[in-house]
Amino acid sequence: MLTPRRTNVLLVAFLAAVLPPLTYRLMPAWFPSSFWLLLGYAAVFAAAALSLNLLMGYAGQISLGHAALLGIGAFTSGLITSKLGQSMAVGIPAAALAGGLVALLVGLPALRLKGLYLAIITLSLGYMMVNSIFRMSIFAGGSAGVEMPRRIAGDLLLNNHADYLAMSLVVLLGIWLVDSNVTRSKLGRAFAAIREDEAVAQAFGINVSRYKLMAFVLSGAIAGLAGALYGHLSFSVSADTFSFEKISLPLVIMVVVGGLGSRVGVAVAAFFFMLFPQLPVLNNLHGWDLVIGAFLLMYTVARHPGGFTEMIAEARDRRRKRALAKAAQPGQDEDIEEKGAIPKLPSLPRPSGLAERPQVAGANLLEVEDVRVAFGGLRAVDGASLEVPRGQIVGLIGPNGAGKSTLFNAISGLVRPDSGVVRFLGQEIQDLAPHARAERGIARTFQNIGLAKSLTVRQNLLLAQHIVAGYNPVQALGFTRKTARVEAELLERADQALAALDFERFAHEPLRNLSHGQQRIVEIGCALVTAPELIMLDEPSAGMSPGAAENLALRLRDLRDELGRTVLLIEHNVPLVLDVCDYIYVLNYGSVLAHGSTAMIARQPEVIGAYFGEEVVA
Amino acid sequence: MLASIVLGLVAGTIYGLLAVGIVLIYKGSRVLNFAQGEIGTFSLYVTSILSTQMHAPYLVAAAGAVITAGLIGFLFELLVVRRMGGASRLTVTIATVGLLTLLISLEFMRFGPAPQPVPSPVEGVGPVIAGVYISPSQELSVVIILLLGAALTIFLRYTDFGLAVMATAQDATAVRLMGIPLSRVTAFTWTTGCAVAAVAALLISPTIGIGVAPNFMGLLFVSALAAALVGGLTSLPGAFVGGLVIGVIEGLSFQAGSVVTAVPGFKEIAIFAVILAVLLFRPQGLLGKEA
Repeated sequence: MLTPRRTNVLLVAFLAAVLPPLTYRLMPAWFPSSFWLLLGYAAVFAAAALSLNLLMGYAGQISLGHAALLGIGAFTSGLITSKLGQSMAVGIPAAALAGGLVALLVGLPALRLKGLYLAIITLSLGYMMVNSIFRMSIFAGGSAGVEMPRRIAGDLLLNNHADYLAMSLVVLLGIWLVDSNVTRSKLGRAFAAIREDEAVAQAFGINVSRYKLMAFVLSGAIAGLAGALYGHLSFSVSADTFSFEKISLPLVIMVVVGGLGSRVGVAVAAFFFMLFPQLPVLNNLHGWDLVIGAFLLMYTVARHPGGFTEMIAEARDRRRKRALAKAAQPGQDEDIEEKGAIPKLPSLPRPSGLAERPQVAGANLLEVEDVRVAFGGLRAVDGASLEVPRGQIVGLIGPNGAGKSTLFNAISGLVRPDSGVVRFLGQEIQDLAPHARAERGIARTFQNIGLAKSLTVRQNLLLAQHIVAGYNPVQALGFTRKTARVEAELLERADQALAALDFERFAHEPLRNLSHGQQRIVEIGCALVTAPELIMLDEPSAGMSPGAAENLALRLRDLRDELGRTVLLIEHNVPLVLDVCDYIYVLNYGSVLAHGSTAMIARQPEVIGAYFGEEVVA
Repeated sequence: MLASIVLGLVAGTIYGLLAVGIVLIYKGSRVLNFAQGEIGTFSLYVTSILSTQMHAPYLVAAAGAVITAGLIGFLFELLVVRRMGGASRLTVTIATVGLLTLLISLEFMRFGPAPQPVPSPVEGVGPVIAGVYISPSQELSVVIILLLGAALTIFLRYTDFGLAVMATAQDATAVRLMGIPLSRVTAFTWTTGCAVAAVAALLISPTIGIGVAPNFMGLLFVSALAAALVGGLTSLPGAFVGGLVIGVIEGLSFQAGSVVTAVPGFKEIAIFAVILAVLLFRPQGLLGKEA
């Protein structure tokens, strides 16, 4: 099927393949061979920069050893084309494979952990490759390096720089397409959530280590490919080609200055930094280009972390906002704060990608038995037990520091209990990762909004459906028919939710631009969009006006009565709790002080005492 | 074997010193300063200029290096890190990569890739320990590092300001409430952490003996980073011990490399393997606390 997108892609591919060879042959005097060689280097660096951008810009992980990944690709393709006499059609894909494989081996230990460990190990990898592996005679031909013939087949070589550029541009276009498939599928959203906040990503049901690894492997494969292109462009490579300062550092400059996460910006920056120092006017730059690049890099991260792309976008945004402010009716956006109107929560059909959940006998959806969580010497949760029957609203109250949120974390999986059992739908889940618990039907909100604040409201609603996006990463990279169908479905559900919440006007607004109360509503919408069995709300009324809190009670009852959900609620607003809950647990010092039906709890004086932090006299 | 261990320990003290600088900055502002090594390199150029072009005595030239390094750290904290206040650690770390790039490119621009001479503090042949000649400059380096270590320990353990520095990593708010401005603590950690890098560069330079070239400290920085990691990234004594461990491992791998000549760069492989092993088996390091 020839969609407009496909037509465009084919057109660009055709131009990339035809224009350079044709121009060179028609006007060799104006566009000599050296011109095409220079453009070739720019194209290769653009590919390498896109690879680093995928890792750093999308997933927020730093690599300081991208030169090593390029080198692995170059030497692999060099071996295959020179020693084995094979075509680049074998060598270049093999280079991508090798780059991805090295990234997998290095990323596996480093990306399980939170923090900057990837930067450390890739830095070390870079030095090890340049000083050891790339100098080994078996692999890399010793210090002399390897030949990199541009072999098409047999003795047919692509020695003309313009022809080679055409090939490089087609490969670059392929990388561009894969990259754009990343950003328009669940992969890109998952990367963005991880970059924003790993805990938030986990709560969305994203397997953080796996997705970080995926980003690095993908980045490694593209880097390997770029390395092979680079090697064949130069006809030979040696270890010194792939030094830290010649490749790894300039790539960081290109990605950051171009704009972390911006495909266009990064590609433009790569072409700019490769071509600008070569302008005849600037004949004797004497290395000033790198100095300027370094200054730009520091200026950008300190002032505009989104790079030049963001500076442009910000200017556009300001214009848009002014226009919006003019158009908006007064008071429209302060509904929740002023009038206390909370929109009706969306009732959405069950998503098709959702796995069947066991229908268990017994009335309890969730059972917590004797759970203990200690942080050092502090016993935050100290033998707490509770039961949440299906179809009820259960309240969890207690003074600050009683361990309510920690208990929530133990149930949703953000902390692993030291001992005790958490049973959901009849199965023990205390050892499962947060994303696995989300898949089983536990959704939650956070005291301080567990959403990706720099993403738009709509993106958050899409992100919330991560666990029901039923296509695999390979299907995502190819953006297959199935991926397209699922994505369309997710988008439809997101838009239904937006419509139900009456938040359509915020669809493309970054979440942080919304008021606290509005963010809270979006968060509840996100929790509902995957049709969870249990919804855990951590202080939903915090930051809401009294009127809104009253309305919240209405909506919570809707959750139970109309949507048939089960709710576990942490709340400081006692009237609200007494109003909506069927059953209440009172937590103090990490264990259950009292529990009972709402009417019963309301009568107990020690509960009120614990709540307001007074000593309980037994 | 014993010889490699002794030489490894001598080099290890220098890695330890550099690692202490890394950890000091990391504790103060939770940032890994990737420019740490290059600040050392850059300050060696200052020594080189002072002694070869201005004929300054060694002590003056060395002091120039340490002051330069401290100043770079101080200014970077003041002009970049502090202004990034709420930014993520990722962006601040990228900013240190920017500083690293700036220093390397300035070095290339002014001096090119050829090494520049750096003077030695002492000349001559030293004593033989376990069958190894320990040069006077190596001896001096061990003595200086032990003195520096003792001074830093006393300062951090027994002065109010030192204790505040140590406490910042755990609870920045508490330090502010104690009446010690956080900005002073971070200014101190960046200045000291970077100045220490210059000392390490000055001490290692006579042993390597080729003068100073761009990215001269690159590989040493990786060793120091590995040392800091072995020590748990937040422990100052751990970083120093980590330095000794890395030094010995490097010494032994160097010896192994002289036997297995088919594989070059044994040292780099060893450091990579150490980092890999720490991440796999003990991410909190030897002396770090479980996260």
